[in-house]
Amino acid sequence: MKFGQLFKETLRNEGFPPEWIESALSYSQLKKCINRLSTELSELGLDPDTLGKLLKHVEDYNAAADQSDDRARPFEYILDDSEDEDGTGEKKPRKTFQPKLVFHVDEVTGALHSAQLDEKTKRKLQMLAVETGMTELRVFEEPDNQETPSHPTVASANSPKNRPGYRKIEIPLTSDTEFFTKLTAELSGLEALQKREEQRMHGEIQSLGRQIAHLTDPDRRSNKKLLSVWRQIFQLYLEEGIFFGTTESDHSAHDAAKAQERFNDFCEKLRTSGLSERLKKKENIEAFNTFMNINQEILQGLRFGEINETAMKKILKKFDKRTALGVKATVPKQITYPSFSSHLAKAVCAEVSTEILSHVPQIEDYACPMCMEIKWRPVRLGCGHVFCIRCLIVMQNNKQDRCPLCREQTVANANSDNLDEELAQYLKKWFPDEVKEKQRYNELMAGVDQYGEVYKEKCCVM
Amino acid sequence: MAALPKRIIKETERLSKEPVPGISAVPHDDNLRYFDVTIDGPAQSPYEGTLLPPFGGVFKLELFLPDDYPMTPPKVRFLTKIYHPNIDRLGRICLDVLKSNWSPALQIRTILLSIQALLGAPNPDDPLANDVAQQWKEDQNQAIATAKEWTEKFAKA
Ligand SMILES: [Zn+2]
Ligand SMILES: [Zn+2]
Repeated sequence: MKFGQLFKETLRNEGFPPEWIESALSYSQLKKCINRLSTELSELGLDPDTLGKLLKHVEDYNAAADQSDDRARPFEYILDDSEDEDGTGEKKPRKTFQPKLVFHVDEVTGALHSAQLDEKTKRKLQMLAVETGMTELRVFEEPDNQETPSHPTVASANSPKNRPGYRKIEIPLTSDTEFFTKLTAELSGLEALQKREEQRMHGEIQSLGRQIAHLTDPDRRSNKKLLSVWRQIFQLYLEEGIFFGTTESDHSAHDAAKAQERFNDFCEKLRTSGLSERLKKKENIEAFNTFMNINQEILQGLRFGEINETAMKKILKKFDKRTALGVKATVPKQITYPSFSSHLAKAVCAEVSTEILSHVPQIEDYACPMCMEIKWRPVRLGCGHVFCIRCLIVMQNNKQDRCPLCREQTVANANSDNLDEELAQYLKKWFPDEVKEKQRYNELMAGVDQYGEVYKEKCCVM
Repeated sequence: MAALPKRIIKETERLSKEPVPGISAVPHDDNLRYFDVTIDGPAQSPYEGTLLPPFGGVFKLELFLPDDYPMTPPKVRFLTKIYHPNIDRLGRICLDVLKSNWSPALQIRTILLSIQALLGAPNPDDPLANDVAQQWKEDQNQAIATAKEWTEKFAKA
């Protein structure tokens, strides 16, 4: 299937909101622009073959080490409208710009000066210059010393330099202006869409965050059972690393396909765990559905961004192929794709984690570095590291005097003053089940310390 | 048998779910404190496998977690014969984190990573296999050649 067709069908069939579809790149219209440009160029005698030869030339010239002699450069296609960063680092809004096709010809004869072109091409261009020079071709001369000290970057490799004895001839084209104007306008549209979406999702996420905070508030008695359900849902979610890798070997942002695959995997795990069914009350179910929806929206945004970026790359490639103007290598910064996919996903995911997930602390963050169970009761050593009291006792019994994390000698002199009461209250509030279990275990082990292994057996029988 | 501490369960889970590249550690079914370990010799070391078959460069080890783990370090030993100044004929390893520098905050995965690093950076000044260390100091090129030879001969996948 042709890309244009595929693009259209993807937009139609993947359930994007109508507003998005309207903002998508108009691939087929851009293609028509290219067709018109191609006709325009051949009418001037600049068929792709001729232009291709010229382009090859320019490329050779650009690749050459010595660029001081630019007589070998017969033409330039200038996309950069010399809009400079003004040093403040602020990105200026996208501007439409006028592409220029510029030839350098001999002032007197109109001959194109380049030894490396074959005669036929040279003659053709010369004819073009002379002919159009007399009619509608604009011949412009820049004044000497036109160096622009305020914009030093203008004098870069792809800006036309003044050459004594030569004239610059600008070939007036309309379809390319049309093409680039359209493309930049559409990219601006996509950028604006992205901003609106981010705003909208920001609101959505914040309100869900407040809802989750309310539903998991451990001070509300009715939440007691649900806190652990929400925690487990979020734990599965975090472990899955849907949009970003979470393992040592993979921190990268996922593309739409991979993120979708991970999301499906997450849904499957939710299903087998039966967690979502344990959310019985309406407000919980609604919050859960909103959470899933937000994730679907991020996925869709990623996908939409990706297909539009592909469309942009394809259309620029087509532009090159059909016109041989070689824009791909010189695409200015105005035609960079707005980082819809990565940016939106990153911003929104960060918000999901700070605004929603953070309301429900994960046990992982409160695990003792030694036994990997909940830090109950928490003991803060002189060095600031926190262990559970059981592990502290084990270390003291074993004359392990150094903190396992920083090796400071802070273990031996820790005593009941080191109990972190504030953290203890927090743990009791948020992890009541885990605290209870660990408390039972600690008591059992204290008994074993006192009475030996027999204590454990007796307890187990009971 | 005493119940397996949660820590060991968690470490084992993570080792299988998020394996370290070039390292595997699988517990025995009948003794969850006993692990079969393989470590790939690091690239650009004499313990590296070949690019083409028979590949090789895979070293087998055994790892045992004593009852008082993590107060005491895991016991680790090479099963595959290896020519290395810090590993003796019985496969015992001279590595500070396995002895005096052990900390209960270290884990099976960190220890195995240290061993893999030791293969990439032999230290003949702190030897366990005296003869190998001597050879390493006197004629390093010859020692490396021997290490490669042994890798090819013994460290088969
Ligand atoms: Zn502990
Ligand atoms: Zn410490």
